[in-house]
Amino acid sequence: MNILKRERSINLGSKVADIIIYIIAAISALITLYPIYYVLILSLSSPEHAITMQVFWLPKGFYLEGYKRLLSDRQLWVSYSNTIFYAVCETILMLVVSTMAAYTLSSKHLKGRKVLNYFLLIPMYFSGGIIPLFLLVLQLGIYNTPWALILPGAVSIWYIILIKSYFGTIPESLREAAELDGANSYQVLWNVFLPTSKPILAVVALYKIVGVWNGWFRASIFIIDSKWQPLQIYLRRVLVEQDIDLSQELLTAEELMADQVNRLSNNQFKYTIIIVSSLPMLIAYPYFQKFFVKGVMLGSLKE
Amino acid sequence: MDRTKKHAFSNKKDRKRNSYYLRENLELYSLFLPAAVLIILFCYIPMWGVVIAFQDYLAGNSLFALDGSVQWVGLKHFKRFISSIYFNRLIGNTLRLSALDLIFGFTTPIVFALLLNEINKQRYKKFVQTASYLPYFISTVVAAGMMLSFIEVNGVFNIILGVFGIPAKEYIAYPEYYPVIYTIVNVWKSFGFNSILYFSTISSIDPVLYESAKIDGATRWQQMWHITLPGIKFIIAVQLVLQIGRVLDTNTDLALLLYRSSTYSTSDVIGTYIYREGIQGGKYSYTTAVGLFMSLIGFILTFITNKISNKLTGYGMW
Repeated sequence: MNILKRERSINLGSKVADIIIYIIAAISALITLYPIYYVLILSLSSPEHAITMQVFWLPKGFYLEGYKRLLSDRQLWVSYSNTIFYAVCETILMLVVSTMAAYTLSSKHLKGRKVLNYFLLIPMYFSGGIIPLFLLVLQLGIYNTPWALILPGAVSIWYIILIKSYFGTIPESLREAAELDGANSYQVLWNVFLPTSKPILAVVALYKIVGVWNGWFRASIFIIDSKWQPLQIYLRRVLVEQDIDLSQELLTAEELMADQVNRLSNNQFKYTIIIVSSLPMLIAYPYFQKFFVKGVMLGSLKE
Repeated sequence: MDRTKKHAFSNKKDRKRNSYYLRENLELYSLFLPAAVLIILFCYIPMWGVVIAFQDYLAGNSLFALDGSVQWVGLKHFKRFISSIYFNRLIGNTLRLSALDLIFGFTTPIVFALLLNEINKQRYKKFVQTASYLPYFISTVVAAGMMLSFIEVNGVFNIILGVFGIPAKEYIAYPEYYPVIYTIVNVWKSFGFNSILYFSTISSIDPVLYESAKIDGATRWQQMWHITLPGIKFIIAVQLVLQIGRVLDTNTDLALLLYRSSTYSTSDVIGTYIYREGIQGGKYSYTTAVGLFMSLIGFILTFITNKISNKLTGYGMW
């Protein structure tokens, strides 16, 4: 009887704890999702509602003019296509360079492996810092050209190590069989290793794409010409430095003069540009995330 | 088969094998070449470039000049930095923001993972988990931009506070609010992603341990305290060592977007100082010295915390 009572009280305590845990979890999901949702509904509301900022649940007065105007902004398209260009170039180059290097390190017959391992390890612990890199880019004559982003972005020691550790899981007998058939290293890499390593290449490529898409720091140092600046630099000017007022850029003079209250505000343009620039990531991330989880697990094995 | 013949045969075979290995190694090194060139160029040469911390480097000089054109000045830049008013301010600001990051940024992913681990409805758990990854995919510029627009004078935060009669304020311009704003954006952006490591470690704990604990009548708390936490102790220790090693490396990316000249007294950190004085101000030798000095301290810190972690938990990086 006593035992039964105790069990019941544990269960009851457990129920209360359950409810509290579920509520905290719901709040945490709200904290992560709501800011973006709020930006989305503001960007879709009509200007007279958006200006009050009091749109919390659903868009008030569905209104797409902000998007229409923004998509006619030339600089947005220039920086958008620059970002796509950088993402494609850097990702492909990085995959080629890293896969080749990883294959070298995975071979059993490699002479001087120790030296190569140290060669890769040292830069992971020591770096010259940003100033010497900046001066180097100046001296190479690639300052303010796309190369200043693409070349340093084409190599990542971390990705080489990740791919190498994956290559280590491919049975050695596959390589030996191909070598007995007279295949050279290039052929083994191309015909045996590459087809079996799609999962790791996908993980590494997605990390890289997200990194390039969202990165702005290197571009702010190396690229001053707006012709070559990526999307995030443009966003920084609009959202953070605020030296571009999109309502001044995208509305006609008459509109600006005539209607002070009901016209699209710079704030609403800001919310629109946030959605437009983040849209590819917002759509893709639920599919991306399982690769990222895999990457974190692979990485932790190496730590 | 007589001995000499056999010997000659194996010699020939050896030679054949040797020439095969030689060819294979040539191929292997040719595959490594592009990575080697890029790593030497963008990792090793900048590493060598820190010598300008001991020179008076002039823009346009070669990073490699070792002839009479170089003015060696010894530790001048280091001394200047340490005796400048910036030294205390930068270290203080950096430590304050890092301490906040340690208290909130480091613990939130652990608590979050432990919390979600208690949820039995898999779909709900999966949903909350997936939602928590979203900020990682939002760029720092957008995250900072949203924060700035929410807290500006006409922003939603001030509107809500206005309902309670609190007058509107330009929060980003006040040094006393900066650490809070910075920490919120920083934790928001990273906690979900940083929790992945703990999730995957928790899921690798042997379920038999929980089963037998339940049979022994262990409560939920006891299970978390005696099974789950010890199960992730190792990862927590390693992450802690890494984080303390980075204590002087605040999130420069984010700080550069959020700080203002009016908040320098709490917001200026080593990374932003180097960016401002070096990249924008052209004091290359001086800021390289600042950076070198800081990475030296960071390295020592990592070393010490690793020692302590080894002593206390038996786990560490080395």
